[in-house]
Amino acid sequence: MTQELTVMMFTWEFPPRIIGGISPHVYHLSKSMAKNDVKVYVVTCDFPGAPQHEVLDEVEVFRIDSYKNPAPNFATWVYLMNMNMQKEAAALVKSLGGKVDVFHAHDWLVANVGIGLKHVFRKPLLATIHSTEIGRRNGIHSDYERMIHETEAWLTYEAWKVICCSDYMVSHVRWAFGLPEDKLVMIPNGVNAQQYTKNKNTNLSQFRRKFALPEEKIVLFVGRLVYEKGIHVFVNAVPKVSEKVNAKFVIVGNGYMKEPLSKLVKSMGLAHKVTFTGFVDDETLGNLQRCADVCVVPSLFEPFGIVALEAMAAKSPVVVSDTGGLSEIVEHDVTGVKVYPDNPDSLAWGITKVLLDENYANRLKNNAHKRVQQNYDWDKISQQTKAVYKAVLKEYSKSFWA
Amino acid sequence: MQVIIFSWEFPPRIVGELANYVKSLAVQLVKSNVETHVVTYHDYLTGPREEPEGTKTHRITNPVRTHIGVLTWVLTLNQEVERTAANIYYDAKKQTDLIDAHDWHFIPAAVTLKKALNIPFIYSVESLEEHRSHGANSPFNMAIKSIEWLGLYEAKKAIVKSEWMRDEATRIYKVPTDKIKVIPPKSTAWMKTVLQTYKSVAGGAISK
Repeated sequence: MTQELTVMMFTWEFPPRIIGGISPHVYHLSKSMAKNDVKVYVVTCDFPGAPQHEVLDEVEVFRIDSYKNPAPNFATWVYLMNMNMQKEAAALVKSLGGKVDVFHAHDWLVANVGIGLKHVFRKPLLATIHSTEIGRRNGIHSDYERMIHETEAWLTYEAWKVICCSDYMVSHVRWAFGLPEDKLVMIPNGVNAQQYTKNKNTNLSQFRRKFALPEEKIVLFVGRLVYEKGIHVFVNAVPKVSEKVNAKFVIVGNGYMKEPLSKLVKSMGLAHKVTFTGFVDDETLGNLQRCADVCVVPSLFEPFGIVALEAMAAKSPVVVSDTGGLSEIVEHDVTGVKVYPDNPDSLAWGITKVLLDENYANRLKNNAHKRVQQNYDWDKISQQTKAVYKAVLKEYSKSFWA
Repeated sequence: MQVIIFSWEFPPRIVGELANYVKSLAVQLVKSNVETHVVTYHDYLTGPREEPEGTKTHRITNPVRTHIGVLTWVLTLNQEVERTAANIYYDAKKQTDLIDAHDWHFIPAAVTLKKALNIPFIYSVESLEEHRSHGANSPFNMAIKSIEWLGLYEAKKAIVKSEWMRDEATRIYKVPTDKIKVIPPKSTAWMKTVLQTYKSVAGGAISK
């Protein structure tokens, strides 16, 4: 296969290291780029049991020593990790004879390595901004948060182009960092719809019994248990939904709000209706998404909302808060239900509506499944990304760095 | 010979003893026909400048204005050090012979530049975290110590100012003694020995 161009991606997470949405994003993007004749190197943090170097479907993955002494705090660790990543990536690029055409950094977590290598090797840098500090925290409230915010601004300043996954994020990032419009590109996030058909032989009704009684509907939440994901709104909707429907609420994920919320559930006397599973493996997650009667995404801030897309690909009806990227993914009454953000009454209304009207639920999930295949296919997304690389390289070829 | 000196203090920014030492070093190097660039920090006097004594200074500021400690401040500042040194390197048609990094602050940049562009570096040790922090081992101190260790490991040579410091560097970081050159600043052979050490290190780059 002839490779037209070479990219080196920087990401702090890549499977099997999965913390949030960046890991699956970079995984699928890299694999589909490789299929579209792009040579992809991924430089990422190490993970217990994962090899330092491996080739996955023609994608070369390098896992670096991610600084394992105790660090004073998360942000300081990020900068120390970047120091190590930069050192190893610099040696890697040199060993390739400098034959890398573009660097591509995902979020501020790899800002330093991307910016550093851009100048040292004089190659263009692209950045995907998946999320922002000002959005995650709903404002900037401390020096710690401001430092991260300014690091994000610095990355967008140094990047040749800034990619965002939704129109909402494009306008948010433009506002947050004061960027010119022509620096921003919207390329949606994708979902691998085939992964939900490949485990067909699993006995779903038997699997379902591990989580709920046969007469209970399953209401599924998947996400980090943190404020911006609106998990507290979800928990507050539980008693309101339970008044009308016999349902089991399954909460997948971890986060600092797990303890207070499970206490809240106990004090409401609903502990038997709510299950906190913690982090689950991909297969369990996929099966849960397939057998859920409704998947709920109650986020207060959501740059994209990949988990809604996954549910749609798994043919589960979705109820989402009308905010951020979710507003663009879901068309109300056509591919899902949109409810008011930060409003447990509205959320409970949406969940109840889907659970009580089977015809409505079936119509939503069939429409949604079609929409996912049309608009959020990785092959199409990687071609769009490749086109951006090519456009940048054309401009670069006229610069004095070339 | 072309040398780039890294120092986090340089007049008019004077924090401790290092600023004036690095200044006298740079001036003497120019007098010895060494093309001398100094990359240093200043909050607002930024950009390249030809000093009256012939030294070329490049003062850089931090692209991230808000910080929660000296570590985050230093680690983002390193990116600007790297950028500036790379610009000097490319402007000089890749003829930079070596980097002389004073203290731990800009070691990360020196290491990346070595790995990426083959520029060897000397680590000039003014002081060590073990002594500055009186043996404290909090995550903060450990991070600085790990950078000092990295510097001594990756440097082609280390320069210290006393035999005591050579023994301490050997004791704390297990550096082989013959990697460390003792050059007392007030000695008569000071500049001669510095130049000899520079030449022994620069050899690798010149013949590349």
